[in-house]
Amino acid sequence: MRSLKFAAGFGALIAAVGLAAHPTQAQEPITVGLIVPLSPPGDPTAGQLIRRGAELAVDYYNGKGGLLGGRKLQLSVQDSQGRPEGGVAAYRRVVGEDKAVGVTGFFHSSVNIAANEVAKTMGVPTIGTQTSAADITAKHYDIAFRTHLIDPLRVVAWLSFMQGKGFKRVSLVAETSDYGVGLITETEKQVKDKKLPIELQSMTFDRTSTDLTPQLLQVKAFKPDLLVNIGVGAPMDLMIEQAATLGITPSTPMLVSYDAPIRPQFWQLHPNTGDKLYFIAYYSPKQKLSELGAWFTKAYEEKYKESPVYSSLNGFGDVAILAQAIEQAASTDPKAIINTLETGKFAFWSSGDVTFPKSEGVFWHNFSPPVLILQFQKPNQDWKEADVALESGK
Amino acid sequence: MFTPELFAQALIAGVVIGVIYALMALGITFIYSIVKMINWSMGEFYMIGSYAQYLIVVYLLGPNMWWLAAVLSALSVFLIGWLVEPVLIKPMFTGGIERKDDYATVVTIALLLLLRNLATAISGPYQRTPGTTLGAVMLGPLPESGARFAAFLCALAAIALFYVLLRLSWLGLALRAASQSRVGAQTSGVDVLALDKIAFGIGVGLAGLAGALLAPVFMVYPTNGVVTTTKGFEIIVIGGLGSIPGALIAGVLLGIAESLGSTFIASAYQNAYGFLLLLAVLALRPSGLFGERVRQA
Repeated sequence: MRSLKFAAGFGALIAAVGLAAHPTQAQEPITVGLIVPLSPPGDPTAGQLIRRGAELAVDYYNGKGGLLGGRKLQLSVQDSQGRPEGGVAAYRRVVGEDKAVGVTGFFHSSVNIAANEVAKTMGVPTIGTQTSAADITAKHYDIAFRTHLIDPLRVVAWLSFMQGKGFKRVSLVAETSDYGVGLITETEKQVKDKKLPIELQSMTFDRTSTDLTPQLLQVKAFKPDLLVNIGVGAPMDLMIEQAATLGITPSTPMLVSYDAPIRPQFWQLHPNTGDKLYFIAYYSPKQKLSELGAWFTKAYEEKYKESPVYSSLNGFGDVAILAQAIEQAASTDPKAIINTLETGKFAFWSSGDVTFPKSEGVFWHNFSPPVLILQFQKPNQDWKEADVALESGK
Repeated sequence: MFTPELFAQALIAGVVIGVIYALMALGITFIYSIVKMINWSMGEFYMIGSYAQYLIVVYLLGPNMWWLAAVLSALSVFLIGWLVEPVLIKPMFTGGIERKDDYATVVTIALLLLLRNLATAISGPYQRTPGTTLGAVMLGPLPESGARFAAFLCALAAIALFYVLLRLSWLGLALRAASQSRVGAQTSGVDVLALDKIAFGIGVGLAGLAGALLAPVFMVYPTNGVVTTTKGFEIIVIGGLGSIPGALIAGVLLGIAESLGSTFIASAYQNAYGFLLLLAVLALRPSGLFGERVRQA
């Protein structure tokens, strides 16, 4: 009898210790996967900027007491290196091992596309932070969401810009990724469908190329009115420099296909070659920020001593959307989160709510920012003061 | 669209980039010939050289003294190699390690990961450049950036100096003896363990010099050594492991193959042309253009 009591007491003690050591379901943190490029051939600057935004979103919600009655939010950060296989491995790790309930941070379209093929099976939703290839949402996967511009709209914008400027001969030099090849294909398609009087020269290069002289010599021989730089990361910077060395720019204007020139280091890298450059941007300096956006901007400036750029804003916004979806669904079940993402409204860094309707074609589960084409007017110019050559919808 | 001018431009561009790649390959092949191991972390010493160049130019000497900064950067990387070798590499010969090749692979890959992640943690998200005051130059019909042309000339000078050191100095004689036979050299009274330190330091110093010279061209970031390392390994396979003339000639051939292929065939497969050259050479001469077959006990 005594030994039975002892055994029961000992068992209760062991159970109590075990419970103290392992948090209950209610106390377990909620994990959001963040798959970003942190090393080449991806764009590590973009990856780090998105990560900064995501980390501040985690701070915001944890500062408010967490989610679902006090559960802390945490990130599982993985480096995709900008490679599809890296994205797939990263997705499997964050969902399979770290039990992420949502995955975001995607910057490279090819990574997002590859991860979505796995997400389709594993069921945890993805939000493309700065991925623009049509296929990400055109396939109408339940798990696929995006808060970024789609490439067909980017192409509409730059063709409108080309027509406005009277450019008749245009060279497109793109990296061999879903993004680069997708933009060339879409541009050629829209020129043909709309019967635009623009002659295109298209060529591609491997993202690991260290010398774009062969491609740019052909561009020089073509004598275009505009050179569109569809490189991402180091190749984009290399093209800016080598085009200037070969004498293509500044007499032939260059349009950079995404918003890299707004980053703080741009003028340090291109002090002599960045002037008069055209580039795409995704928000206007005049755009109103939401309360969430204003909190984020203040926190970012305090921490990093510089203004946040679009990558950080969207990194913050996407984690915030997932956090709101979890709260609205009152659940961490991926199916419930997907259902809430499709039917709910979410605060974002910009004013106005974000929704993800089940729209036709590429607009499925998509929230698109505006497209602007800006042009620097002088060296070292703040991007907020650059000339607006085009603003979509205007 | 073939024109003689375009051909000449592509050829010159290929030669310039090829010589620059050869400098990297030289470091790899030199370490192999003396220490008999492949240093898989050469790209990270290239990266350290580029960061050293950035720091010295931006915070100490200014862009006009880029050439002195490059020498100092190479010397700093040499010193790092000098300090690392006794800790990581020397045990191969004194520690009773049986599978030396496996040990060297594991240790140098571990070093690669350490240096790369350390640089990522310290340097933050941004790419950097030391900048350049060198304007564009005309190489025949081809305008070339001053920084890239300077890197080409300095790479040629470094290769030439290195060759002279090997051929005309006592140190060079000792190094050549050790590359032919470590046991023979040791028997003759040469301290091969001390030579290993020097050889490792020189090898990584050459990579550091390449990084310093190319910092304004390819920019400075934690993984900027990856592509040049890959090219370096391609070159030593084409040229022959352990052959210094082979490294230079293979580098030029690789640069030309990539440049002409991209210009006249298809630009998307630039890297593939180098691998096609590699396969062709291996099919005809498995030990490389200037490599020698060796027998190992």
